[in-house]
Amino acid sequence: MSEARIEGYARALFEIARAEGTLDEVEDELFRFARSYESSDALRNALTDEMVPIERRQGVVETLLGAQATATTVQLVSMVVGSGRGRDLPAIIDRLVARASQSKDLAVAEVRSAVALTDDQQARLRAALANATGHEVNLKVVIDPSVVGGLVATVGDTVIDGSVRTRVDQLKSRL
Amino acid sequence: MNLFAVIAAGEIDPARSIHWLWPAAAELIYGSLASILIFGLLYKFAGPAVRKAMADRTAKIQGELDASAEARSSAESEAADIRRAAGDIASERQRLLADADAQAEALLSDGRARLAAEIADLEARAEADQAAAASRVGDELRTEISRLAAEVSDRLLADTLDDSAQQALIESFIQKVGSSS
Repeated sequence: MSEARIEGYARALFEIARAEGTLDEVEDELFRFARSYESSDALRNALTDEMVPIERRQGVVETLLGAQATATTVQLVSMVVGSGRGRDLPAIIDRLVARASQSKDLAVAEVRSAVALTDDQQARLRAALANATGHEVNLKVVIDPSVVGGLVATVGDTVIDGSVRTRVDQLKSRL
Repeated sequence: MNLFAVIAAGEIDPARSIHWLWPAAAELIYGSLASILIFGLLYKFAGPAVRKAMADRTAKIQGELDASAEARSSAESEAADIRRAAGDIASERQRLLADADAQAEALLSDGRARLAAEIADLEARAEADQAAAASRVGDELRTEISRLAAEVSDRLLADTLDDSAQQALIESFIQKVGSSS
């Protein structure tokens, strides 16, 4: 899909969420859904397979998100999948998150961790990243077992890698 | 005293022979004169033809002698040519043999040099192959050691990274990022 179309969808989702007054929540849920979509081949195939009827694909979305996300989030994802743009969901959602953060004058900070962070850790990490980058950040934590241990933070083009996985890879490379 | 003087002296009868083997004096005289006349006529009229015939024969014999000499000279020249040609053939044979020897020597020398080069090349290739094989084995060994080390490190990490270690890593990260402004 073209950049303009992705931007159009992102703007539409953003406006709907903001109009509903659930922008923060929807943005967070969509972000998590996008990461799940990226990491799961089965989910990706289910939502992009042209042989599967659109209604069934939307049914998969409702089944997966229905009990865990707000109705707005479910409807927005269902709408994108229903329009046959399931393949572009991560790009659309990332653009929506960036737009939402920009509207609050925040930089998106994606943090990958092998284990969940406590609220306290998230708050301190947010403050630490703001201190390091000079911008207030919209912290997005992704649970990623491949990190093994530690954290990997990405703010814009800056990557701060403190993961065990990277250290192990470096060790392997030296070996 | 000669016969004419005897006859002139009238001591002998000209019509009679004085010996049974000797003709009569008159006959002798007439016969002698006739003989002289005949010889004179013969000398006058037949002499040139005889001399010419003799000269022609002499010239013919001389020509034949000259031709013979020429033929002999030609034969000797031809013989000399043949002898020279035979000499040339012998020297040509010698030259060809020398050339053949030189070519054979050159071929042998070239063959030896090529053989030596091929042997050197084969040895170098064998050494290179040996070195490559040793290097490959070394690389494979290193790769295998790395793979095993990675597996071991992953297992060790899985065993050692308990919740407290995870939290410690997270806290360390937060602290490090916070202090790097």
